[in-house]
Amino acid sequence: MSSRPRHHWVVRVTHWTAAVAITLMAASGMRIFNAYPSFHRRGETFCCYPFEGTPIPAWLTFGGWLAGARHWHFAMMWLLVAAGVTYVVFDFLHGEWRDLVPRRGDGKRALEMIRFYLFLRRDHPRQGKHNALQKLAYFSLPVLTALVVLSGLAIWKPVSLGWLTSLFGGYVWARYWHFVGMVVVALLALGHVFMIFAVDPYAIPSMITGAYDERLSPESRNARPFYHLLPKWARPAPHEPAPNATPATEDA
Amino acid sequence: MSRDLTRAAARLVDGTVARLEARGAIDRRRFLAQGTASLAALLAGGALAACDSQGPASAQRLLRFAERRNEGVERWLMRHTAMDHARASAVNAGGHFPSYHVAKIAPTWDATARGPWSLEIAGLVQRPQRFTLDQLVHLPQTQQRVNHYCVEGWNAVATFWGVRMREIARLAGPLPQAQYVDFESFDHDPQSNVDFHECWDLESALHPQTLVVYAKDGEYLNAAYGAPARVHSPVKLGYKNAKYLTRIVFRAERNGGYWSDMGYEWYGGT
Repeated sequence: MSSRPRHHWVVRVTHWTAAVAITLMAASGMRIFNAYPSFHRRGETFCCYPFEGTPIPAWLTFGGWLAGARHWHFAMMWLLVAAGVTYVVFDFLHGEWRDLVPRRGDGKRALEMIRFYLFLRRDHPRQGKHNALQKLAYFSLPVLTALVVLSGLAIWKPVSLGWLTSLFGGYVWARYWHFVGMVVVALLALGHVFMIFAVDPYAIPSMITGAYDERLSPESRNARPFYHLLPKWARPAPHEPAPNATPATEDA
Repeated sequence: MSRDLTRAAARLVDGTVARLEARGAIDRRRFLAQGTASLAALLAGGALAACDSQGPASAQRLLRFAERRNEGVERWLMRHTAMDHARASAVNAGGHFPSYHVAKIAPTWDATARGPWSLEIAGLVQRPQRFTLDQLVHLPQTQQRVNHYCVEGWNAVATFWGVRMREIARLAGPLPQAQYVDFESFDHDPQSNVDFHECWDLESALHPQTLVVYAKDGEYLNAAYGAPARVHSPVKLGYKNAKYLTRIVFRAERNGGYWSDMGYEWYGGT
């Protein structure tokens, strides 16, 4: 049997819980933001946001109105924190963190991945469970999410947790980092979803059932985005092999 | 060529399902049932997103439950020693300080119709009180430069002059069973025909930065900012800080409030 367990059930459950919680929190957060789509303190100006006063399109938001969005936001935060803490503790105790924590040479390996995706390199770089770009994304996502949660606590409780608000540079800046962090997390998550569909759709069932067939991995398929999606054994034979041509090495 | 691709794809899907079946991980019927369930969940999510404040009853129950739990956490986090400090670099909002009222125009106290204004301290207290503005001004005065945190997300800095609620409570002597404080206002919403009020937990009302305010930025309050007196505290969101005060009532049971009854969090703390 070539299918092997890839994701522990704790990882799968926390993954989908966090996916739901992050989606709802981002959407309800943007509805909250729209009640005052600016960062400047009243009577002042703000240096670092080019879209002061421009609301986010309503179709991206969730919760209907300010109070509704706040209720969703403050309910979902517990789901997100529960999933996040469970995941991190499990990863640490179970050793999964070794597949994710950056190591020496990961920068170079990430560059090789980009070269491969840009057709500047023919073969998929060798990898462990994840390639270097994935490692970077999957490591930074929980770290960034933790920062977004902390800055969120800082603007939820600017007096009770005033020391935390001060760490983020005060209420206005905590609100800003909360927003910027959300945008970065959302872009990483969207990039993740895009790459899953474009490079490794076989990873979707593996995050549900846990099983993954290594013969279908992007490494063994030599897959770039939208390229070599089928495994070698399911690929149609080359249409008209040119006589006397050197044997095709691409799939070797 | 394209037929080849289609066939290959079909072979692949069949192969995947067969492999999953062989492992006993999934059977076709369960696969279908799960697919239907996820689709239903997706549609339910869509319906949720489509409906406004109300939402399906189950979601409402969940959100109310979360609000109660959050209130517990918020009250546990609340400290009389945790103070708000306006940043030194922050500029007082002055005239940029927004002003809201539920009446159509800024409410003013009609002394000819209602007699001279005074602030009544009532409810579960040993010594009910009544203060004219002049008497309030002559009570021990506190000046503080603090943030005003609006539920909408903005904040504004102002310097307030007033009397600590703590001092007013000392004069009135709340009974031990008094656990809530209701701030009543003469700001009248003609549409729903109610007077503005917001009820607080006792701890927040007795926070040293909770003041009955009569002056802001060096001037007595004007009609826009809640004259003759308002409650102001950085420990509560703006909508809990009732303006145009008439009565402060100590209560054993919690009461709602203008915005709290509308659906905003009752606690509304910072």
